[in-house]
Amino acid sequence: MTDLTRRQLLQLLGLTGAVAGTGALAGCGPSGPAAPVTAGAVDLRMWTHDPGYATFFTEAAGDQALVAGSPWQTTVDVTSIAPQDIVSRLVTQAVAQRPLPDLAGLVIDQFPRVMRAGIAENLFVDLTSRTQAFGDGLLKTQPYSVDGRVYAIESDNSISVMFYRADLFDELGIPADVATWEELVEIGGEVAARTGQAIGMVSNGDNGAIVNGFVQLLLQRGGGLYDADGTLTVESDEAVEVLELMAAGVRNGAFLALADPYGGAVAAALKNSELVATVMPNWYEVYGLQANVPDQSGLWRARTVPAFADGGHVASTLGGTAFAVLKDQPGTEAALDLLERTYLTPEGQRARYDAGAYMPTLTELYDAPEFQEITDPYLGDQRVFEVFSAAAADMPVFYQAAGASILRDSLGGPILRAINGQTRAAEALRTGVEAYERQVSS
Amino acid sequence: MSTTVTATSRVRADRRVWAPYVFVSPFFIIFALFMLVPVGAGVYLSLTEWAGLGSPEYIGLDNYARLLQDASFGVALANTAFYTVLALAVVLPTSLLIALALDAKGLRLRNLFRLTYFMPVVLSPIIIALIFGLIFDGRYGLLNAVLDALFGIPPVAWLTDPTLARVVVVVLVLWRWTGYLTIFFLAGLQNIPRELHEAAELDGAGVVRRFFAVTLPQLKPVTAFIAVTMLVNTAQIFEEPFLLTQGGPGEATLSISMFVYRAGFQRQELGYAAAAGVVMFLIVFTLGRIGIRAFGVGRTR
Repeated sequence: MTDLTRRQLLQLLGLTGAVAGTGALAGCGPSGPAAPVTAGAVDLRMWTHDPGYATFFTEAAGDQALVAGSPWQTTVDVTSIAPQDIVSRLVTQAVAQRPLPDLAGLVIDQFPRVMRAGIAENLFVDLTSRTQAFGDGLLKTQPYSVDGRVYAIESDNSISVMFYRADLFDELGIPADVATWEELVEIGGEVAARTGQAIGMVSNGDNGAIVNGFVQLLLQRGGGLYDADGTLTVESDEAVEVLELMAAGVRNGAFLALADPYGGAVAAALKNSELVATVMPNWYEVYGLQANVPDQSGLWRARTVPAFADGGHVASTLGGTAFAVLKDQPGTEAALDLLERTYLTPEGQRARYDAGAYMPTLTELYDAPEFQEITDPYLGDQRVFEVFSAAAADMPVFYQAAGASILRDSLGGPILRAINGQTRAAEALRTGVEAYERQVSS
Repeated sequence: MSTTVTATSRVRADRRVWAPYVFVSPFFIIFALFMLVPVGAGVYLSLTEWAGLGSPEYIGLDNYARLLQDASFGVALANTAFYTVLALAVVLPTSLLIALALDAKGLRLRNLFRLTYFMPVVLSPIIIALIFGLIFDGRYGLLNAVLDALFGIPPVAWLTDPTLARVVVVVLVLWRWTGYLTIFFLAGLQNIPRELHEAAELDGAGVVRRFFAVTLPQLKPVTAFIAVTMLVNTAQIFEEPFLLTQGGPGEATLSISMFVYRAGFQRQELGYAAAAGVVMFLIVFTLGRIGIRAFGVGRTR
């Protein structure tokens, strides 16, 4: 053999690389769809970010009160993945035709990612036929719908109410039954001037937190980011009113401006009793209040949110995680069965409430005696479902669209400037919407 | 017999010819598979519209045209330039000064200082961001408490004012990387022959003169390496703004890497993210080449 030139070497390496690459990629190729398990033992693969759901599904799969009569004997194999990575990995696994989970937990602000390019339709089982029988009796299907089809079922109603310190409300002379936001912000301003304490908070941190706080109030006021068709509706009188209220609250001290509603600053505000009330979803009692101020057990109470004088609701919603069933997996049918038994039956919803205080999504349960009788020691043994029942009956509907993430980033800065009084509410919304439209239309 | 001998020696000669290539080939194969192929795929993706599933739709240079009109990308570019310039202008001199201090004769607790300065490098960025969040929180932050206690300064919105938030990100970069770069400078300082300083001292040079006439020229290769490394790393900055401010308030601290991440993994616009990634690659590559040329990295002395 003659001497090998550099060119020949590179050609050889290129050929070797191509062959090796092709071989490697072929090895990564689809192993062919596994046969569906129609009965008997099945090990469901589940991806979720929350250990609470992992525990619930693992235990529910073996709970005869829930799974009696099922053709499957189910076990659940949980993989813990960060919320944003679940969607990314679902897509990459699907592209690579590698095994997907049977069940996947989708955090509400990640769902818009699967609303584009037919991702939801291609990956998830259409659950519409299973949910439409409930009609309006099943809450929070809209945020997980694409073109009217439901692709995931909410785990927790995430119903926003007002948590308040009953002892401090008494001490400060704040009526616990204040009817409207306008009154409460005025009273809050007087309290803030007198004692430095606040009756609410707004976020001035990252775009997600800023916009979430705004949307929570916007939904309560009767507005929204999008309508059912996915048309942008955020530039509205309701939105202006909400933003003006937030700015007024920050200006007179009724609202604390905090970077992170779940972080150290809020913990400090709660511990110092500087924050004496806050409108947050039901899960905030566990993750925000009990986690940060366990010593204030018995001092807090819940009530419906004061209404806006010009209309709206007495409740709202913020956050949530829904579970979707992946198509064409060996355990797809078994996963559907488990999801239906745990998420779409009264027994399943009660089990979820007992397991992690996940608020029912079936409206009929809020007035059921077994829920009405529940008392909450942290809330001074309050019969909490008296509050949540009224809230659930007047809960606003929340729609999302594929561009929700762009909208959040477009609105975050302008809303912050409006809250800080650096721009007018209407102008801020216009700026945000223009930025959004530039990006979604380009 | 002679035929057999000839054949054997030819086989040996062939082996000698092949051997070096075989030894170096793993690098080239891996480089091709894990560098050239992904880069090529990225460039191709940047010419498509793709959300992840289905076939990418070829759209030519539309993504690049969109980038040119995207105000967010402009903000990300400006922020990244801000971080890069300040990192070079502040982190580099600070590292050198600390290295000089650690190299001083008779310094006590030298190893403790070195350990302390190196500590941020080995700490998890998440912990760093958490701690910085507590220090710089506008309402309950440690820094504001200190400023108030000592000087009566009212609370400063460190993380929620656009300009200050950018500065805090640079402070985080400074805190995180200064110690690491100090180690390089320290190694460089310890390699400067003492005789050069002694000779300069005999010639009547003072401390400042010795620094500029001896230390700095001798440190040029190390400085060049650090400057280029810092330039390239900061141009790709991601962790610091992502963990500290999530790019906020608004988009005030958004970097190009975050822009790419946001487009790809929060908006599912993979073609657009790839286009931004290609632009970032070109910028970083160009800056790296300019830096290498300007600082003379790799030139023989």
